[in-house]
Amino acid sequence: MATEDARYRQSSQFRLWSFSPSQLGAMREKANLLARASISERLLSAPRSNSASAPTSNANTPDADGTSTLPEFLTPSEEALLVTFYTSELLRAGDHAEMADEIKATAAAFFRRFYITNSIMTYPPQEMLIVALFFGCKAEGSFPRITDFVKNFGRESPEEVLAGEFLLCQGIRFAFDVKHPFRALRGAVMDLRRIGDIEHTRIDSAERRAREILRFSPLITDAYFHYTPSQIMLAALSLADRGLAERLIQETFHFVHPQPNSGAGTPMATDTPSASSLPDSDIATIIGPVIRDKVLGTVEACRDMLSKEPPERREHWSSKVTYKAQLQPIRKKLNKCRDPDRWNLVELQRSRREQVLNKSGGGSDDGGSAAGPAGPSKDDDVFGGDIKRRKVAKGAMDDPFGGAL
Amino acid sequence: MPPKPAAPGAPARNLFHPLPIPPSADDMCPVCKTIRYLNRDMEFLINPECYHTMCLNCVNRLFTDGPNQCPYAGCSRTLRRKGFRSAFFGDLAVEREVDVRRRVAAVFNRVEDDFETARDWDNYLQMVEDLTFDLVHGTGEKRGEAEKVLVRWEGEHKGEIERNRRAGREREEQARRRMGLEKDAARERRVAALREVEEERRERAASKEAELDGIAAAPDGRGGVQLKRRGQVVRAVEAAAAATAEVGRLSIRGLKEKGKPRGAEGPYDPFGGVDFAPSRYRLGEGLAHPQVDKYRFDQGHVTGGYSFEEWTARAMYEAFAGLGVFVEDEKEAGIGLSSREIATIASGIAAVGDKMELD
Repeated sequence: MATEDARYRQSSQFRLWSFSPSQLGAMREKANLLARASISERLLSAPRSNSASAPTSNANTPDADGTSTLPEFLTPSEEALLVTFYTSELLRAGDHAEMADEIKATAAAFFRRFYITNSIMTYPPQEMLIVALFFGCKAEGSFPRITDFVKNFGRESPEEVLAGEFLLCQGIRFAFDVKHPFRALRGAVMDLRRIGDIEHTRIDSAERRAREILRFSPLITDAYFHYTPSQIMLAALSLADRGLAERLIQETFHFVHPQPNSGAGTPMATDTPSASSLPDSDIATIIGPVIRDKVLGTVEACRDMLSKEPPERREHWSSKVTYKAQLQPIRKKLNKCRDPDRWNLVELQRSRREQVLNKSGGGSDDGGSAAGPAGPSKDDDVFGGDIKRRKVAKGAMDDPFGGAL
Repeated sequence: MPPKPAAPGAPARNLFHPLPIPPSADDMCPVCKTIRYLNRDMEFLINPECYHTMCLNCVNRLFTDGPNQCPYAGCSRTLRRKGFRSAFFGDLAVEREVDVRRRVAAVFNRVEDDFETARDWDNYLQMVEDLTFDLVHGTGEKRGEAEKVLVRWEGEHKGEIERNRRAGREREEQARRRMGLEKDAARERRVAALREVEEERRERAASKEAELDGIAAAPDGRGGVQLKRRGQVVRAVEAAAAATAEVGRLSIRGLKEKGKPRGAEGPYDPFGGVDFAPSRYRLGEGLAHPQVDKYRFDQGHVTGGYSFEEWTARAMYEAFAGLGVFVEDEKEAGIGLSSREIATIASGIAAVGDKMELD
């Protein structure tokens, strides 16, 4: 097994946040189902009070005739479309704030990861994308002042951003390190330049184009979940200049089984110093033709995915026409079926804090987030709560030595 | 003068060590309501059956004729004279907890060496602590249960407990013996050092004597001066030798005895077996990027010690890391299977959801 692959398999991106398409689809469906169940339960349990107090009331005009009837919920595909739309909004917001590519990419990855186990009906995407950007800044080592940050996005108070911060961290399962293909592209360019017989202008223009692709296409699709950064990078390079990407793959996986008679004809003995001590069969699994074909196939699949959202589609997502035609109906639907308890993050945080403060018997926390293992109630279980402390306090109250005289 | 109560009997005296809690003037016995003002020597005793305090007089009055009920209202424990003692801690809850812990520790007296791994030992400690906690703070039912567990364990593992206790005692004995030996050795060293100093002094006196003799024997004063100087040199050399000898005799106490060396585990690997040698690409000369090259002469980067080799290695690593990781196959079938095996497995599994990581 190649050492690089072994190292990549240790990353949280592979361990926690890589899925096959069918797994991803199943998870989104499950999040959607759970959100439906919990939201309808909440709407049914307190129909009157919430339509009076919650901000949903203005959009809930059809509810006036009968609050017991449930609104129509979003389907998983509609949710996915909305998440994609808000990801493009997030990238636009990042451009507006003049953030680095890595920050925007990390924020986009956080945002998409968050909405895998949480439904967009549960938590407000407009708020969460700002939170993701703020936390992306921190994860990438740039630390803006929260007051300046909120001003930049036209929010009034820092609380609106800070309220969702821990929620986001839970949603992304505290995996703060996102591996990006940007530096990988630099590495690939260096390797291509070393080959020698390729014009540098060709490489440079391909790099520019590939970088442009990387800044948009993989972030707005599910590429980060299905492919590794190097595969995404090669796919982008292939979109920019197919010949260069294939050349790089050919050069990398150049091993051919030596003929029994020729002996000295093996080209790789000098090329890969660390692998030269291994037996041929091992080398073949690292840089042999079989794995080369598989990589070519994977890169091709990734290329297909990226080509669906080329950088030119930025305008498509931000144009008013698209919004009116595709997104507005869904957003209207969303306004009716969103979670009454969790839509306002500031309120949610305050009520959670209060709940903790006057927690009497424990277990008063309800189902937690709509889906996924990262809900706050599960968290209590993981850390054991403070059962013991509570026990002590109780023990102190009833005297262990019997009543007073 | 108030009528003095009968002096406590001799055996009782042995039982009660003096109270460490400073007595205050308004202490009152809750049973007979005597206050310290009236009885300067009042002592408070408790019985670990129920931990109700009462003064020594009350104990003598109530329990000399044999077992009796606790005089506290609502407490129906039967107490015996023998069980009474003075509390060590002012807070009786603490006193009780210490008693319970002592009792549990006597039953669960294993040591760390009895366990294979540190985790086992920790688990054992956790189990004991949970039991102790139930005994100390648990409500009626839990306490009863823990009590039962403790008694049963004691009954079932009598031999083992006894053996452990004996081993513990032996260990203590050994430690004490070792301390004794060390102390003896230190004393011997001190005595030897003293003797040496004494000898040196005697020698010096003798050499002085000899010097004086020499001066007396010499015809003029010059030889005497010379002799004197030589004596000084000798003394300096002697002092230096003594100093080095003193240094050599120093001993550090409290060092842990060395256990057997770790053999099979090998040296510690901070990276947990991850190999950092590249297998798909090659580092070294010829790797350059125009966007980065311009920084090679940038004061801000160079002065700070920015390593371009490091950056190159990282970029190359990222370009090739995970190239052979096929997420779809590995997440559904597991790492390390060949494509053919994956194909057979994939055809076997109809539903995919059961392998999911997040569920």
